[in-house]
Amino acid sequence: MLFMLLGFKNKAETTTYKCMIQMTNYSGEGAYVIISLLNPEGKYEKTLYVQGDDDEWYSEITAWWKFQGKRRTDIDAITGATISGGGRMISVIEIENSKIDTGYKIRFETAVENQEYYKDDVEFELTSETIKNKIEGTGFIRYVRMMAQ
Amino acid sequence: MTISIWRYSHLTLAISSSIFILLAALTGIVLAFEPISNQLKPYAVKHADALSLSKTVENLQAEYDEVIHVEKDKNNFVIASVITKDGKNETFYINPFTAKKIGDIIEKAPFFKFVTNLHRSLFLKSTGRVLVGFISFLLFLMAVTGVFLIIKRQGGVKRFFSKMIKENFNQYYHIIIGRYVLIPIVIVTLSGVYLSLEKFSLLPSEKKPHDINEELLVGTPKIKVQDFSLFKTLTLNDIQRVEFPFSDAIEDYFVLKLNDKEWLVNQYNGAIISEKKQNLVALVSSWSMLLHTGQGSIMWSVILLLTCIAILFFMFSGFAMTLNRRKNSIKIKNKFSKDAAEYIILVGSETGSTYGFAKALYKALIAEGKSVFVSELNAYSSYKKAEHLVVFTSTYGDGEPPTNAKNFEKLVGHVYQNKILKYSVVGFGSLAYKGFCKYAIVVDSLLQLHQKFIPNLSLHKINNQSFDAFKDWASSWSKNKGLNLKIEKPVNTPQPKNSKLFKVVSRSMVNSDNSFLLELELAQKLKFNSGDLFKVYPKNEQRERLYSIGKINENIVLSIKKHEFGVCSGYFSKLKKNDMVLADIKQNKDFNFPVNVKEVVMISNGTGIAPFLGMINNQDSNSVKSHLFWGGRTKDSYQIYSELIDKAFYSKKLSGLYISFSKEESQKRYVQNSIVEKSDLISRVLKSDGVIMICGSIAMQNDVLETLESISESKLNRPLNLNQIKTDCY
Repeated sequence: MLFMLLGFKNKAETTTYKCMIQMTNYSGEGAYVIISLLNPEGKYEKTLYVQGDDDEWYSEITAWWKFQGKRRTDIDAITGATISGGGRMISVIEIENSKIDTGYKIRFETAVENQEYYKDDVEFELTSETIKNKIEGTGFIRYVRMMAQ
Repeated sequence: MTISIWRYSHLTLAISSSIFILLAALTGIVLAFEPISNQLKPYAVKHADALSLSKTVENLQAEYDEVIHVEKDKNNFVIASVITKDGKNETFYINPFTAKKIGDIIEKAPFFKFVTNLHRSLFLKSTGRVLVGFISFLLFLMAVTGVFLIIKRQGGVKRFFSKMIKENFNQYYHIIIGRYVLIPIVIVTLSGVYLSLEKFSLLPSEKKPHDINEELLVGTPKIKVQDFSLFKTLTLNDIQRVEFPFSDAIEDYFVLKLNDKEWLVNQYNGAIISEKKQNLVALVSSWSMLLHTGQGSIMWSVILLLTCIAILFFMFSGFAMTLNRRKNSIKIKNKFSKDAAEYIILVGSETGSTYGFAKALYKALIAEGKSVFVSELNAYSSYKKAEHLVVFTSTYGDGEPPTNAKNFEKLVGHVYQNKILKYSVVGFGSLAYKGFCKYAIVVDSLLQLHQKFIPNLSLHKINNQSFDAFKDWASSWSKNKGLNLKIEKPVNTPQPKNSKLFKVVSRSMVNSDNSFLLELELAQKLKFNSGDLFKVYPKNEQRERLYSIGKINENIVLSIKKHEFGVCSGYFSKLKKNDMVLADIKQNKDFNFPVNVKEVVMISNGTGIAPFLGMINNQDSNSVKSHLFWGGRTKDSYQIYSELIDKAFYSKKLSGLYISFSKEESQKRYVQNSIVEKSDLISRVLKSDGVIMICGSIAMQNDVLETLESISESKLNRPLNLNQIKTDCY
């Protein structure tokens, strides 16, 4: 009974989103992209996805590393290889439904080894409207598209 | 002393980068195992390459809610990223025939991650990668300078792969292995450099975006994905990766990454809406990655592994050679300037070993109160007060001057000599080379043609740095000068530190040739073989004496000739049973009984028979046919050996015995006469890659080599292959 309840609870509360990140034509190594959930105060709440598996470089993504570096939550399951310039990447992320339309934000941070670091390449508030839109990036990301499953 | 520019750069590069290369080679050995272990994982599906893309897509879409992408990794395992029926996003290996999961993605083990980081950046991130890329380039330069060194040594590009003579273990294998791993090293280093360059966007990159043909972005005619004709013709062999459309929107399409291009494909009708060819930079990158890491090929990974091991060996043998050369190049501090000295000694030496002899002569002359000046042949100049010139020179390769003598020929024509000098040339070399002392002959003739030089003694050749031969020359030279020189052995002979005790088992009577056999027992366990050397230091003498060992029933048998004033042989001839002898055994692998050959011919005269007495009585050599030639003075000379030889003959360990006597009434024959008679046997052995072993006097060796050469030329139409000859002569 309890298991069923928990199972039900989980399913009811989170939604899986397909998320496509289209990169610009930068040159050089593959980019690191970190997708995080920010609470209404603008603080990191949870790491949703990590693109780039060479942890040597994580500390270069300074804003996020202040959060992740301290907590060191296990991110192996949500880690993928870097994306190179012009490439696109589809990842699947899970967001709790309670975070939608309640002031939470999603942030896409990007960095390329030995090049710039964009703290908020893409950042927007999670609402039932924004989540369907195509959002333009300001750094290495050309745009992001999300789609609920 | 001068060393050639190639050797100098080869060495400088090696010294400057050694620590990094050591690290890279060690980590490289570890990393070679990663692709091997990955390849051995059971995720490869047979015949998957032939499966069509449409079938694969159909299987996947039937099995899962949604497919994000499918790709083939470097090991040819098929990976799918999907959303399963219960809404979870997962990525795993699949069997494309069923689309079912067959395994989780291989995680790079933290250990390999650690080693990889060390290998490519020494944990220094970007700085480290620049450094490692640069070191990789230095290693490439070492390969290049190494090639030049081999070409020079072998005497031409065409002879790059021709056989070489083994004089010294480190040198021999440095070159032999160098020739084989040259290509892998060039590939590894260049790909390493490329991968580092790529890291720093130093390569031109032209990443053109796709140019989408808008007219083809139409939803009609609507065809099922598995019916796309494009997908039907493509097999998994053509595909690297397929990304499925993000949504149902017409602007979303399939992305097909093929081996050399990328296609965007309309998700409703299968039309190609854009094509992008892979550029050269990307192509070279992916090849560099494959070649450098060995991903996807067990065989190449193994080659990379062996290359790393070879690099370690190069470091070891290279530095060992350098240290050895250092040791040999004895610095001589001249007391007199070139214009003040009466005696001039000029040295031509590649490895520096000839300097030892020059130093010995220098010391002896100084002790006599003479003024001497020593220098290298390249520093040949005018000498104001000089009366006598001595040239000591080795030969490089097939008759080339050694590096520090390269300019001598030119100088000798230009430099004006005030006085007339009496000269003597001594050549150092090895009989194993065809051009034995060839450069010394050149120097001798150059001086002979020169007006200001008159010969003093004829050219003297010395084999294998024999100190006795050098002493012979020195005594006749000093006699000629009216001097009484005391020449001391140049290199500091190691004191008999490691001496061991041996007990006398028996000693034969001294026969009419003044020869006798001595059998010794080991007081402690020691490994040795017939052909190794018994090393004795006679009392009050620095110089060791060496005797060839015959090993019989684990005992040492020596055949010794008693010399009238011989300290050592005199001592041995007085030994009685149970006396103890202090000596050592020196390995002499080049003169041990060969394995893996069909036939062996042993040629000896006088006491040179000793190692062969052991070899023909050895239990293990049954499968090898052996023939023994021996030359002695009289029948009586043979008596002391007959028992041991008969024993071998009757137990069928010896197939043929050919004896000749030089001072017998009935016959006056030398060992080479018997060889000529048996030239059929000799040519058969040479032809079937057998080995000929020679032990005895140098004079006999020279005559025998000449005889063998003429047999080889006349019967086999080829020059004698010196790799088939083993000698131990004195």
